[in-house]
Amino acid sequence: MDRERLIRYLSLLVIGVAAAVPFVSGTNLYLLNVLILMLIFIIFSSSWNLLAYSGQGSLGHAAFFGIGGYASTLIAIQSGLSPYITIFLGGAFAAGIGVLIGLTCVRLKEWFLAMVTFGFAIIVQAITVSFLASITGGWDGIASPRLVSSQVPGYILIEYYSILALTIGVILLIYLIFKSKIGMAFLAIRENEIEARVSGVDPVRYKLLAFAISAGLAGIAGALEIHYFGYITPEIYGIDISFWPIIYSILGGLGTIAGPVVGTVVLTVLWDGLKIFGLTYERYIIIGAILILSVIFLPKGLVSLPDKLAGWWKRRGNKKLRNQA
Amino acid sequence: MGELEIFLQILFWGLYAGCIYILLATGLNLIFGVMKIVNFAHGEFLMVGAYVTATVFALTGLNPYVIILFSMVVLVAIGAAVERFCFRPILGTGKLNEIFLSLGLIYLFQNLAALIWTDEWQSIQSPYASISIPIGPLNVPLDYIIIMVVTAIILTGLHLFLKRSRTGRAMRATSQNRKGAMLVGIDVERMDVFSFSIGCALAAAAGTLWVVSGQVFNPYMGSIPAVKAFAIIILGGLGSIPGAIIGGLIYGVAENGAAFLLGGIWKDAVSFIILIVVLVVRPTGLFGESGE
Repeated sequence: MDRERLIRYLSLLVIGVAAAVPFVSGTNLYLLNVLILMLIFIIFSSSWNLLAYSGQGSLGHAAFFGIGGYASTLIAIQSGLSPYITIFLGGAFAAGIGVLIGLTCVRLKEWFLAMVTFGFAIIVQAITVSFLASITGGWDGIASPRLVSSQVPGYILIEYYSILALTIGVILLIYLIFKSKIGMAFLAIRENEIEARVSGVDPVRYKLLAFAISAGLAGIAGALEIHYFGYITPEIYGIDISFWPIIYSILGGLGTIAGPVVGTVVLTVLWDGLKIFGLTYERYIIIGAILILSVIFLPKGLVSLPDKLAGWWKRRGNKKLRNQA
Repeated sequence: MGELEIFLQILFWGLYAGCIYILLATGLNLIFGVMKIVNFAHGEFLMVGAYVTATVFALTGLNPYVIILFSMVVLVAIGAAVERFCFRPILGTGKLNEIFLSLGLIYLFQNLAALIWTDEWQSIQSPYASISIPIGPLNVPLDYIIIMVVTAIILTGLHLFLKRSRTGRAMRATSQNRKGAMLVGIDVERMDVFSFSIGCALAAAAGTLWVVSGQVFNPYMGSIPAVKAFAIIILGGLGSIPGAIIGGLIYGVAENGAAFLLGGIWKDAVSFIILIVVLVVRPTGLFGESGE
């Protein structure tokens, strides 16, 4: 298929550009910092998007982001393992919690689910700063080992390429899931749960699977961010951390693989671009307005823009022909 | 005596907090009933209402309980605009879209407010702040009693409007059966605007009552109360106003009890624990008939 090939080449081009950036910019710390956070949020948004793909819109994904971060940090501190291993353990722990949360959610739909997930982020934060304060450091947080020790020369480049590789891996994984029987099952459940059940898809099992994968990936993203920052506080469960992946995914294109990537890149560029102009609250106002406009006028996100423009161009051409005739 | 006193104090705090939740939840319920949408940004209307009242109070020095009316009128206008330009275009395009649109509105309103009024915590002093009335072993601030009376008056007024007036009945008809209402000649889009605006006015009243009680406020104050108000209407049953009142009171009391017993951080968490427990047992809510 022509289109498929085009997308494949485009992806390779994007990966090439991402890999080449440090060669062009040198070790520009500001740029690398922006790019690393962008990559982490691509993983995070993609994980949210995967859950939404199965028809479950979470409003509290920061819970998994934070659980992954805390679990990885605590495992790394207690066991002395390298963060390169503990990020996956943290992700696995988040996936386990995700299944537990999913168990309460499988019977719920749309905004009932949204409410419960929103609440979980708040409950998890409360547990972190009260019952678990002795190991999590309460509101003050705790230091977390860095992904690569800052004594290593060029450590930030190693971190950048590690995270880039992981991001590509995650997107590939999601691509494979979407293509597989599992992805079909997610789609079937999202479109019509009863029909899915009739055709032999067990909705509960697949919804829990979606929760596990999504929470696990979000946990890995959270762990990456924490090991990159070298510090974790309960602010990681903040409402805005839950909202960002949603905004990125919607703007990019809900339920597509490219959507969260495109949305994250475009908004990160916009966000940091506006910062240069010294805007603070205005940035949020602009983001809010963009979100509203895109829900109303571009409900399928930026990835649908080329098709939309092509359609508009074609209609325009037809009109011209008709006028000439 | 000491324990009883504490218990009564918590109960009273709960009743007062409950009033604000009831007003928010009733508004959300009304909007949900007629339009079948959920606006997660409803708390932002509470916040704007609070700031309108505080600003007018600072400028004119009028009694804040009078300014409540002005604040409600302002929010009716804002609500009508939001309904017309944001929610109407996406009506019937899916529940997730409503949630996303609300997120956009949250960012928009919070940061516009921060631009206009800064994001510092503020508070105002009610003219009755120093007066309190002894009831039993408690000294109850007069403001709390006025707040409860005002809430009762607003809810009674709403009840009468919905039961007696022609428009109110048309709104109820629309919420029962939208197509049927259209068939008998009710302009349902107009009912959408009315319900949304009234919902916003109730949120403005809640915001005003929040500031006159002397509580601090900032542009981000609305999000959590709105989500809780939503939890309350799930608990109390969608479309049921008595359910919202009972749910609001339960939440107000449970929260303040939890804050006292477990610490302030559990104040918000406990309301979601209640919600989750209720939804696990009954996915349609306590009094809900059919799931959405």
